[in-house]
Amino acid sequence: MNRRIMQNTLVLLTTLAAVLLQNSATSAEREPFNDRYCTTCHGTEGKGNEGIQAPRLAGMEGWYLRRQLENFRAGIRGTHPMDREGIAMQPMANLSDESMADIVEWVGGWPYVPAEVTITGDAAAGRSLYGVCATCHGDQAQGNVAMGAPALAGQNDWYLVTQLKNFVAGYRGKHTGDAYGQQMAAMVGGLGNETAILNVVSYINTLEER
Amino acid sequence: MAGFVSRREFLNLLAATGGTAAALKVGTALNLLPGSAAAASLDLLNLGNNQRKVAILGGGISGLTAAYELSKQGYDCTILEASHRCGGRIFTVRHGDLIDEIGNRQYCEWDDEPHMYFNAGAARIPSTHRNLLAYCKELDVDLEVFINENKTALVQDDKMLGGKPIRNIDYTTSMRGFMAELMAKGMSSAEMDAPFSESEAETLLSMIRSFGDLNEDDVFKGSFRSGYAAGGFLEHGVQNDMVAFRDLLQTRLGRQLIGANEGDTGPILMQPTGGMDKIIHGFLNHVGDRVKYRAMVTSVQVTDNGVNVSYDQDGVGRTLEADYCFNCIPTHLMVGIDHNFPDDYVKAMKYVRRGEAYKAAFQAKHRFWEDLDIYGGISWSNTRSRQLWYPVNGIHKAKGVVLGAYDYGGGMYHTIMTQEERIESHLVDHEKLHPNFRDLVEKPITIAWHRMNHMLGCSARWSRNRFEGWTHEEEHLYHILQAPVNNRHYFIGDQISMHSAWQESAILSAQWALNSMDAHVRAELA
Repeated sequence: MNRRIMQNTLVLLTTLAAVLLQNSATSAEREPFNDRYCTTCHGTEGKGNEGIQAPRLAGMEGWYLRRQLENFRAGIRGTHPMDREGIAMQPMANLSDESMADIVEWVGGWPYVPAEVTITGDAAAGRSLYGVCATCHGDQAQGNVAMGAPALAGQNDWYLVTQLKNFVAGYRGKHTGDAYGQQMAAMVGGLGNETAILNVVSYINTLEER
Repeated sequence: MAGFVSRREFLNLLAATGGTAAALKVGTALNLLPGSAAAASLDLLNLGNNQRKVAILGGGISGLTAAYELSKQGYDCTILEASHRCGGRIFTVRHGDLIDEIGNRQYCEWDDEPHMYFNAGAARIPSTHRNLLAYCKELDVDLEVFINENKTALVQDDKMLGGKPIRNIDYTTSMRGFMAELMAKGMSSAEMDAPFSESEAETLLSMIRSFGDLNEDDVFKGSFRSGYAAGGFLEHGVQNDMVAFRDLLQTRLGRQLIGANEGDTGPILMQPTGGMDKIIHGFLNHVGDRVKYRAMVTSVQVTDNGVNVSYDQDGVGRTLEADYCFNCIPTHLMVGIDHNFPDDYVKAMKYVRRGEAYKAAFQAKHRFWEDLDIYGGISWSNTRSRQLWYPVNGIHKAKGVVLGAYDYGGGMYHTIMTQEERIESHLVDHEKLHPNFRDLVEKPITIAWHRMNHMLGCSARWSRNRFEGWTHEEEHLYHILQAPVNNRHYFIGDQISMHSAWQESAILSAQWALNSMDAHVRAELA
């Protein structure tokens, strides 16, 4: 009996100590932090950064941004071992719902400015390849929320190339939780070689007005 | 494996020392000591009644060097630092500190004591890094000796001796013994063709004997250098068993052990007493009031007669107009910041790759290594965690902080893990060195420099080919980025050096830029 009281007291004291420690750990001495760190990698007003291979967020639809952030957070995207850029992004979406909502709103305030053209390809040849893409992404690559397809116009061309390669190789769009990614992966049949990818992205580069 | 090198082949190899004749003659016999041990001093013009504004982007050691030197000469400096702290990769972690790794934010929970710190970035100062040492002296930064190689520390490889760790000294004494034995035998066989005089050969042979502690027959039979199996003080020492040569050859860690005391990590190394960031605080004692924290640069525009910088501080957009700009923002981040740099400059910025170094540290509940005669230095294991550093600071105190991993090559192995996976990996690895390691340590921290907010990389990687060195194209791009834009904007930092990852390189890059700007200012004022 005495032993039990002692044990209970001990448990109580330990719990109390833990609570006290926790309180001291969250006291004012701690450096505050901010989850609005996107621009470190994605650049000034989210215009994208080739140096980090972090794509343009400015002009990205809020619904698409949210879906991708949620996919990264859930490990639906950015976990394939060959998806180097996705792996880099995946832990950075380790955000609370509040932070995520704040970021989506914050990013939505950035002006859309088309990205600079960095690749060379045959845009005329890419135009015919784009026909399949237009079904979902729209004639002007302006995106279509009803289809869950984001705008492509104005996005960094190097990013589009990387993602198309990832879809073709199965590094993206294979996760069972990624219904839209799977939809996209099924559509890249005509882009089996790098030339085709460069051509279609070169065509998208001509559609920068939205 | 291409097969064993036969004894004959090995001796033939040694006989080829005949080819060293040329080297013996043309070698740098005139490799004189530098005339003075003093650092190259800057001779910047004091502005007097003239005024110049300088924007310094980034509060790393290169930016602080620029701010400190320019403030002395009357320049009006403003340092924009994106994070909550200055120092960049000179980062000493202590009780309560925020480790702002994106996606893996941590606070350090170690005991709040002066010796309980961890240099998560720069950790060693070679005695030849004289410009850094000159600042330590000028800024009253106390230094103490840092121990890199410790002969009583351990070496472990699953492939060697059944994975049992042995002392560094057991490995190196035996290895040197066997190497010396081979060299001594090679000497006598190769002597006739060798270019040495009898006296030179005798001198060389005596050094070979000393190198390996050979017996009178030029054979290695073990050595008291590796300590005593028993006795040694009040009784005669009993010699430790030697480790068989073939056993030593089962690990490649010998390369680390033989090289630990050479080059940049050769003795004497130093560290500031109380943490590497004492150097940063030394600078901040003079220019701390010039720093704006949490100020993220959003635009750098070079004009005909200055540089206009925009930045965001606590959600408010601000501008800074300056006559000159010193920029130590990592090039891979600057690519994503608005700028009007020339095309070749941008090409060079995009060429540089970001380093991937990774470190981890634990608080040890007691200084268990001192129970094993280990005071400072490094244990090596053939694991992904690679290294276990014991602190030389805080000797005989209750607790200490050990480095639990240092992956300076492809540090992505641990970087892409979760925090829990990283820690478990280090615990498992170091149980091979200290069987109860898991119970001896607590409160781990990890630092993946590739993901640290506002840095997103360790030291810049210019050369894409480790083995062949820099290409001409790489040197060309480097010089483009070192040169100013319009005589107004300078990139600085260890990224603008051919020997990145050292504070000395960062300081020298800043001094190079300061001298260049100074010439421009003198011309303007003439």
